[in-house]
Amino acid sequence: MRRRASLVLLALAVFCTALSPLLRWYAFPRLAEVPAGRYQAVVLEAKDATLVDYATLQPRRVSKVTMIETLKGNTEQAARVRAETGRDAVVWDTLTYVAGPDGAMVSRIPERYVFDAHTQQPLHAGGESVDGTPVRRDGIEYKWPFLVRKHDYRYFDMQTRTSAPIHYRGTRTFHGLEVYCFEQTIPWTKVPVPRTLPLGVTPDTVRQLGLERWYTTTRMFWVDPVTGAPVNGEEDHREELRWTGHPEKQPITAFAGHVAMRPDYVDSTVALVSSQRQLVLLLTTYLPWGLPVLGAALLALALVLEIRARNRRAHSGDLSHDGGKTARPAPEGR
Amino acid sequence: MRALAAAVIGLAAALVLVVTVTAIGPPRGHTSPRPLLTSPPAHP
Repeated sequence: MRRRASLVLLALAVFCTALSPLLRWYAFPRLAEVPAGRYQAVVLEAKDATLVDYATLQPRRVSKVTMIETLKGNTEQAARVRAETGRDAVVWDTLTYVAGPDGAMVSRIPERYVFDAHTQQPLHAGGESVDGTPVRRDGIEYKWPFLVRKHDYRYFDMQTRTSAPIHYRGTRTFHGLEVYCFEQTIPWTKVPVPRTLPLGVTPDTVRQLGLERWYTTTRMFWVDPVTGAPVNGEEDHREELRWTGHPEKQPITAFAGHVAMRPDYVDSTVALVSSQRQLVLLLTTYLPWGLPVLGAALLALALVLEIRARNRRAHSGDLSHDGGKTARPAPEGR
Repeated sequence: MRALAAAVIGLAAALVLVVTVTAIGPPRGHTSPRPLLTSPPAHP
Protein backbone atom coordinates (compact mmCIF):
# COMPACT_ATOMS: atom_id res chain seq x y z
CA MET A 1 0.00 0.00 0.00
CA ARG A 2 2.82 2.41 0.89
CA ARG A 3 4.56 1.43 -2.30
CA ARG A 4 1.53 2.37 -4.39
CA ALA A 5 1.12 5.66 -2.51
CA SER A 6 4.75 6.58 -3.13
CA LEU A 7 4.30 5.93 -6.87
CA VAL A 8 1.20 8.16 -6.97
CA LEU A 9 3.10 10.88 -5.11
CA LEU A 10 5.99 10.55 -7.55
CA ALA A 11 3.61 10.97 -10.51
CA LEU A 12 2.09 14.06 -8.86
CA ALA A 13 5.56 15.47 -8.15
CA VAL A 14 6.54 15.13 -11.80
CA PHE A 15 3.15 16.57 -12.85
CA CYS A 16 3.65 19.70 -10.70
CA THR A 17 7.26 20.20 -11.67
CA ALA A 18 6.56 19.80 -15.40
CA LEU A 19 3.53 22.07 -15.20
CA SER A 20 5.62 25.00 -13.96
CA PRO A 21 7.65 25.76 -17.13
CA LEU A 22 4.76 24.66 -19.35
CA LEU A 23 2.47 27.28 -17.79
CA ARG A 24 5.04 30.07 -17.92
CA TRP A 25 6.58 29.50 -21.33
CA TYR A 26 3.87 27.64 -23.28
CA ALA A 27 0.46 28.48 -21.83
CA PHE A 28 0.99 32.11 -20.75
CA PRO A 29 1.98 33.52 -24.16
CA ARG A 30 -1.04 31.78 -25.70
CA LEU A 31 -3.62 32.48 -22.98
CA ALA A 32 -2.76 36.06 -22.00
CA GLU A 33 -4.59 38.29 -24.42
CA VAL A 34 -6.59 41.49 -24.55
CA PRO A 35 -10.28 40.48 -24.65
CA ALA A 36 -11.71 41.14 -28.12
CA GLY A 37 -15.00 42.43 -26.71
CA ARG A 38 -13.58 44.92 -24.21
CA TYR A 39 -15.52 48.14 -23.58
CA GLN A 40 -14.00 50.94 -21.58
CA ALA A 41 -14.55 54.65 -21.14
CA VAL A 42 -12.16 57.10 -19.55
CA VAL A 43 -12.86 60.73 -18.71
CA LEU A 44 -10.06 63.28 -18.62
CA GLU A 45 -10.32 66.95 -17.71
CA ALA A 46 -8.33 70.10 -18.29
CA LYS A 47 -9.09 72.73 -15.66
CA ASP A 48 -8.61 76.45 -16.48
CA ALA A 49 -7.84 75.73 -20.10
CA THR A 50 -7.69 77.94 -23.18
CA LEU A 51 -10.03 77.18 -26.06
CA VAL A 52 -10.62 78.90 -29.38
CA ASP A 53 -14.05 80.35 -30.09
CA TYR A 54 -14.64 79.48 -33.75
CA ALA A 55 -17.26 82.27 -34.06
CA THR A 56 -14.69 85.01 -33.35
CA LEU A 57 -11.47 83.06 -33.89
CA GLN A 58 -10.30 84.33 -30.51
CA PRO A 59 -8.93 82.19 -27.68
CA ARG A 60 -10.81 82.35 -24.38
CA ARG A 61 -10.22 80.96 -20.91
CA VAL A 62 -12.69 78.31 -19.83
CA SER A 63 -13.16 76.63 -16.46
CA LYS A 64 -12.97 73.10 -17.80
CA VAL A 65 -12.58 71.07 -20.98
CA THR A 66 -13.62 67.43 -20.80
CA MET A 67 -12.21 64.65 -22.95
CA ILE A 68 -14.17 61.39 -23.12
CA GLU A 69 -12.29 58.43 -24.59
CA THR A 70 -14.29 55.30 -25.31
CA LEU A 71 -12.82 52.01 -26.51
CA LYS A 72 -15.14 49.37 -27.89
CA GLY A 73 -13.92 45.97 -29.04
CA ASN A 74 -15.47 44.99 -32.37
CA THR A 75 -15.55 41.17 -32.21
CA GLU A 76 -17.02 40.72 -35.71
CA GLN A 77 -14.13 42.66 -37.27
CA ALA A 78 -11.67 40.86 -34.98
CA ALA A 79 -12.92 37.49 -36.28
CA ARG A 80 -12.53 38.72 -39.86
CA VAL A 81 -8.96 39.90 -39.24
CA ARG A 82 -8.20 36.60 -37.50
CA ALA A 83 -9.44 34.69 -40.56
CA GLU A 84 -7.30 36.91 -42.83
CA THR A 85 -4.09 36.94 -40.83
CA GLY A 86 -4.32 33.74 -38.77
CA ARG A 87 -3.54 35.74 -35.61
CA ASP A 88 -5.73 36.49 -32.61
CA ALA A 89 -6.77 40.06 -33.30
CA VAL A 90 -8.42 42.86 -31.39
CA VAL A 91 -10.21 45.65 -33.23
CA TRP A 92 -10.91 48.73 -31.13
CA ASP A 93 -13.31 51.33 -32.42
CA THR A 94 -12.59 54.39 -30.34
CA LEU A 95 -13.96 57.88 -30.03
CA THR A 96 -12.14 60.84 -28.52
CA TYR A 97 -14.86 63.38 -27.83
CA VAL A 98 -13.87 66.77 -26.47
CA ALA A 99 -16.53 68.91 -24.81
CA GLY A 100 -16.38 72.51 -23.60
CA PRO A 101 -17.51 73.72 -20.16
CA ASP A 102 -21.13 73.82 -21.36
CA GLY A 103 -20.92 70.25 -22.70
CA ALA A 104 -20.92 71.43 -26.32
CA MET A 105 -18.74 69.55 -28.74
CA VAL A 106 -15.24 70.93 -29.35
CA SER A 107 -14.04 68.07 -31.56
CA ARG A 108 -14.68 64.39 -32.13
CA ILE A 109 -12.12 62.03 -33.59
CA PRO A 110 -13.05 58.40 -34.25
CA GLU A 111 -10.31 55.84 -34.65
CA ARG A 112 -9.93 52.18 -35.50
CA TYR A 113 -6.98 50.38 -33.94
CA VAL A 114 -6.22 46.77 -34.99
CA PHE A 115 -3.61 44.81 -33.07
CA ASP A 116 -2.41 41.37 -32.00
CA ALA A 117 -4.28 40.30 -28.86
CA HIS A 118 -1.15 38.76 -27.29
CA THR A 119 1.68 41.12 -28.24
CA GLN A 120 -0.17 44.42 -28.92
CA GLN A 121 1.72 44.72 -32.19
CA PRO A 122 -0.42 46.50 -34.81
CA LEU A 123 -1.98 44.40 -37.56
CA HIS A 124 -2.37 46.10 -40.90
CA ALA A 125 -5.81 44.76 -41.68
CA GLY A 126 -9.39 45.56 -40.81
CA GLY A 127 -9.39 49.20 -41.87
CA GLU A 128 -7.20 50.89 -39.26
CA SER A 129 -7.87 54.62 -39.44
CA VAL A 130 -7.90 57.96 -37.63
CA ASP A 131 -10.77 60.38 -38.26
CA GLY A 132 -11.78 58.43 -41.35
CA THR A 133 -8.28 58.54 -42.90
CA PRO A 134 -6.45 55.23 -43.34
CA VAL A 135 -3.24 54.99 -41.31
CA ARG A 136 -0.52 52.39 -40.91
CA ARG A 137 0.50 52.15 -37.27
CA ASP A 138 3.84 51.16 -35.89
CA GLY A 139 4.26 50.63 -32.17
CA ILE A 140 1.62 50.61 -29.46
CA GLU A 141 -1.32 52.81 -28.52
CA TYR A 142 -3.52 53.01 -25.39
CA LYS A 143 -2.02 49.86 -23.83
CA TRP A 144 1.43 48.34 -23.32
CA PRO A 145 2.17 44.62 -23.86
CA PHE A 146 1.86 42.22 -20.93
CA LEU A 147 4.97 42.14 -18.72
CA VAL A 148 6.20 45.62 -19.60
CA ARG A 149 9.95 46.09 -19.77
CA LYS A 150 11.95 49.03 -18.54
CA HIS A 151 12.82 50.43 -21.93
CA ASP A 152 11.48 52.83 -24.51
CA TYR A 153 8.58 51.80 -26.72
CA ARG A 154 7.22 53.30 -29.92
CA TYR A 155 3.88 54.94 -29.30
CA PHE A 156 1.39 56.04 -31.96
CA ASP A 157 0.28 59.66 -31.81
CA MET A 158 -3.27 60.09 -33.07
CA GLN A 159 -2.86 63.77 -34.01
CA THR A 160 0.31 63.49 -36.11
CA ARG A 161 -0.66 59.95 -37.18
CA THR A 162 2.93 58.84 -36.75
CA SER A 163 4.79 56.84 -34.10
CA ALA A 164 7.62 58.13 -31.95
CA PRO A 165 9.54 56.79 -28.94
CA ILE A 166 7.89 56.95 -25.54
CA HIS A 167 10.61 56.93 -22.91
CA TYR A 168 10.78 54.90 -19.71
CA ARG A 169 11.22 57.44 -16.90
CA GLY A 170 11.41 55.25 -13.81
CA THR A 171 9.39 53.19 -11.37
CA ARG A 172 6.99 54.74 -8.86
CA THR A 173 4.31 53.67 -6.44
CA PHE A 174 0.88 54.91 -7.44
CA HIS A 175 -2.21 54.13 -5.31
CA GLY A 176 -0.34 51.16 -3.81
CA LEU A 177 0.71 49.75 -7.19
CA GLU A 178 4.26 49.67 -8.49
CA VAL A 179 4.06 51.35 -11.89
CA TYR A 180 6.44 52.26 -14.69
CA CYS A 181 6.36 55.90 -15.86
CA PHE A 182 6.61 56.67 -19.56
CA GLU A 183 6.82 60.07 -21.22
CA GLN A 184 6.58 61.17 -24.83
CA THR A 185 7.04 64.67 -26.24
CA ILE A 186 5.69 65.53 -29.65
CA PRO A 187 7.35 68.77 -30.88
CA TRP A 188 5.33 71.42 -32.70
CA THR A 189 4.01 69.62 -35.77
CA LYS A 190 1.51 70.58 -38.46
CA VAL A 191 -1.45 68.20 -38.10
CA PRO A 192 -4.74 67.64 -39.94
CA VAL A 193 -7.79 69.59 -38.82
CA PRO A 194 -10.46 67.25 -37.32
CA ARG A 195 -13.32 66.59 -39.71
CA THR A 196 -15.93 67.46 -37.10
CA LEU A 197 -15.68 70.81 -35.35
CA PRO A 198 -18.24 73.18 -33.77
CA LEU A 199 -20.44 75.59 -35.79
CA GLY A 200 -20.11 73.40 -38.89
CA VAL A 201 -16.45 74.37 -39.31
CA THR A 202 -14.66 71.94 -41.61
CA PRO A 203 -11.00 71.44 -42.58
CA ASP A 204 -11.84 73.28 -45.84
CA THR A 205 -13.20 76.27 -43.90
CA VAL A 206 -10.00 76.49 -41.88
CA ARG A 207 -7.89 76.24 -45.02
CA GLN A 208 -9.94 78.93 -46.80
CA LEU A 209 -9.33 81.25 -43.84
CA GLY A 210 -5.62 80.82 -44.49
CA LEU A 211 -5.05 78.84 -41.31
CA GLU A 212 -3.39 75.54 -40.48
CA ARG A 213 -3.37 73.53 -37.28
CA TRP A 214 -0.20 72.93 -35.28
CA TYR A 215 0.13 70.84 -32.16
CA THR A 216 2.58 69.87 -29.44
CA THR A 217 2.16 67.68 -26.40
CA THR A 218 4.00 65.99 -23.60
CA ARG A 219 2.12 62.92 -22.42
CA MET A 220 2.85 60.81 -19.37
CA PHE A 221 1.53 57.37 -18.52
CA TRP A 222 1.72 55.38 -15.31
CA VAL A 223 1.67 51.77 -16.49
CA ASP A 224 1.08 48.59 -14.50
CA PRO A 225 4.08 46.45 -15.55
CA VAL A 226 2.16 43.17 -15.19
CA THR A 227 -0.89 43.80 -17.38
CA GLY A 228 0.54 46.69 -19.41
CA ALA A 229 -2.55 48.77 -18.64
CA PRO A 230 -2.08 52.48 -17.90
CA VAL A 231 -3.61 53.36 -14.54
CA ASN A 232 -3.12 57.10 -14.99
CA GLY A 233 -2.42 59.49 -17.81
CA GLU A 234 -1.69 63.19 -18.08
CA GLU A 235 -0.90 65.45 -20.98
CA ASP A 236 0.36 69.03 -21.45
CA HIS A 237 -1.39 69.74 -24.70
CA ARG A 238 -1.22 72.85 -26.92
CA GLU A 239 -2.79 73.52 -30.31
CA GLU A 240 -2.47 76.62 -32.46
CA LEU A 241 -4.05 77.83 -35.66
CA ARG A 242 -1.21 79.44 -37.61
CA TRP A 243 -1.50 81.70 -40.64
CA THR A 244 -0.30 79.83 -43.70
CA GLY A 245 2.67 81.61 -45.26
CA HIS A 246 2.63 84.37 -42.61
CA PRO A 247 4.94 83.34 -39.77
CA GLU A 248 5.02 86.96 -38.59
CA LYS A 249 1.30 86.93 -37.71
CA GLN A 250 0.31 85.97 -34.19
CA PRO A 251 -1.01 82.39 -34.08
CA ILE A 252 -4.41 81.69 -32.49
CA THR A 253 -4.32 79.33 -29.51
CA ALA A 254 -6.89 76.64 -30.31
CA PHE A 255 -6.35 74.73 -27.08
CA ALA A 256 -3.93 74.87 -24.17
CA GLY A 257 -4.27 72.95 -20.97
CA HIS A 258 -3.08 70.22 -18.66
CA VAL A 259 -5.26 67.17 -19.27
CA ALA A 260 -5.52 64.64 -16.44
CA MET A 261 -7.73 61.64 -15.69
CA ARG A 262 -10.73 62.40 -13.50
CA PRO A 263 -9.95 61.08 -9.99
CA ASP A 264 -12.91 58.65 -9.88
CA TYR A 265 -11.69 57.09 -13.15
CA VAL A 266 -8.20 56.77 -11.70
CA ASP A 267 -9.66 54.88 -8.72
CA SER A 268 -11.80 52.58 -10.87
CA THR A 269 -8.91 51.88 -13.26
CA VAL A 270 -6.59 51.04 -10.38
CA ALA A 271 -9.21 48.69 -8.91
CA LEU A 272 -9.77 46.98 -12.29
CA VAL A 273 -6.05 46.57 -12.99
CA SER A 274 -5.35 45.35 -9.44
CA SER A 275 -7.80 42.47 -9.91
CA GLN A 276 -6.71 41.57 -13.46
CA ARG A 277 -3.01 41.57 -12.63
CA GLN A 278 -3.65 38.65 -10.23
CA LEU A 279 -4.63 36.44 -13.19
CA VAL A 280 -1.42 37.32 -15.01
CA LEU A 281 0.65 36.82 -11.86
CA LEU A 282 -0.98 33.42 -11.36
CA LEU A 283 0.45 32.20 -14.68
CA THR A 284 3.77 34.05 -14.52
CA THR A 285 4.75 33.94 -10.85
CA TYR A 286 2.48 32.19 -8.36
CA LEU A 287 2.09 28.84 -10.16
CA PRO A 288 5.54 28.69 -11.84
CA TRP A 289 7.24 29.23 -8.47
CA GLY A 290 4.74 27.40 -6.26
CA LEU A 291 4.42 24.22 -8.31
CA PRO A 292 8.13 23.18 -8.17
CA VAL A 293 8.07 23.67 -4.39
CA LEU A 294 4.97 21.48 -4.18
CA GLY A 295 6.62 18.97 -6.54
CA ALA A 296 9.72 18.83 -4.34
CA ALA A 297 7.57 18.28 -1.25
CA LEU A 298 5.63 15.50 -2.95
CA LEU A 299 8.87 13.87 -4.15
CA ALA A 300 10.30 14.01 -0.62
CA LEU A 301 7.13 12.41 0.73
CA ALA A 302 7.28 9.71 -1.95
CA LEU A 303 10.90 8.94 -1.00
CA VAL A 304 10.05 8.79 2.71
CA LEU A 305 7.22 6.35 2.05
CA GLU A 306 9.43 4.23 -0.20
CA ILE A 307 12.24 4.10 2.34
CA ARG A 308 9.84 3.19 5.15
CA ALA A 309 8.30 0.45 3.02
CA ARG A 310 11.73 -1.02 2.27
CA ASN A 311 12.82 -0.81 5.93
CA ARG A 312 9.60 -2.51 7.05
CA ARG A 313 10.16 -5.32 4.60
CA ALA A 314 13.80 -5.67 5.66
CA HIS A 315 12.94 -5.79 9.38
CA SER A 316 10.09 -8.23 8.98
CA GLY A 317 12.34 -10.56 6.99
CA ASP A 318 10.01 -10.36 4.12
CA LEU A 319 11.74 -11.71 1.04
CA SER A 320 9.49 -9.94 -1.32
CA HIS A 321 11.25 -7.69 -3.81
CA ASP A 322 10.25 -5.00 -6.23
CA GLY A 323 6.55 -5.10 -6.93
CA GLY A 324 5.72 -7.19 -3.89
CA LYS A 325 6.17 -10.48 -5.75
CA THR A 326 7.54 -13.34 -3.71
CA ALA A 327 11.12 -14.13 -4.64
CA ARG A 328 11.56 -17.47 -6.31
CA PRO A 329 12.87 -19.94 -3.67
CA ALA A 330 16.33 -21.33 -4.29
CA PRO A 331 16.28 -24.80 -5.82
CA GLU A 332 16.72 -27.48 -3.23
CA GLY A 333 19.84 -29.58 -3.14
CA ARG A 334 22.23 -26.76 -3.90
CA MET B 1 10.59 0.47 -13.69
CA ARG B 2 7.34 1.36 -11.92
CA ALA B 3 8.86 4.62 -10.75
CA LEU B 4 9.75 5.49 -14.34
CA ALA B 5 6.20 4.69 -15.47
CA ALA B 6 4.78 6.92 -12.72
CA ALA B 7 7.05 9.78 -13.79
CA VAL B 8 6.01 9.40 -17.43
CA ILE B 9 2.33 9.43 -16.43
CA GLY B 10 2.85 12.64 -14.43
CA LEU B 11 4.68 14.30 -17.32
CA ALA B 12 2.07 13.21 -19.87
CA ALA B 13 -0.78 14.48 -17.68
CA ALA B 14 0.88 17.90 -17.39
CA LEU B 15 1.39 18.09 -21.15
CA VAL B 16 -2.19 17.04 -21.94
CA LEU B 17 -3.63 19.52 -19.44
CA VAL B 18 -1.64 22.50 -20.73
CA VAL B 19 -2.15 21.71 -24.42
CA THR B 20 -5.90 21.19 -23.90
CA VAL B 21 -6.42 24.39 -21.90
CA THR B 22 -4.36 26.36 -24.42
CA ALA B 23 -6.23 24.88 -27.38
CA ILE B 24 -9.59 25.83 -25.86
CA GLY B 25 -8.30 29.34 -25.10
CA PRO B 26 -10.15 32.19 -23.49
CA PRO B 27 -13.67 33.11 -24.68
CA ARG B 28 -13.81 35.54 -27.63
CA GLY B 29 -16.65 37.66 -26.21
CA HIS B 30 -19.16 39.87 -28.02
CA THR B 31 -19.24 43.46 -29.16
CA SER B 32 -20.71 45.57 -26.40
CA PRO B 33 -24.08 47.16 -27.23
CA ARG B 34 -23.03 50.29 -25.32
CA PRO B 35 -22.36 53.38 -27.45
CA LEU B 36 -19.22 55.44 -27.92
CA LEU B 37 -19.78 58.26 -25.44
CA THR B 38 -20.33 61.92 -26.24
CA SER B 39 -20.94 63.07 -22.68
CA PRO B 40 -19.06 62.29 -19.49
CA PRO B 41 -20.73 59.70 -17.25
CA ALA B 42 -21.43 60.83 -13.70
CA HIS B 43 -19.33 57.95 -12.41
CA PRO B 44 -17.24 55.11 -13.91
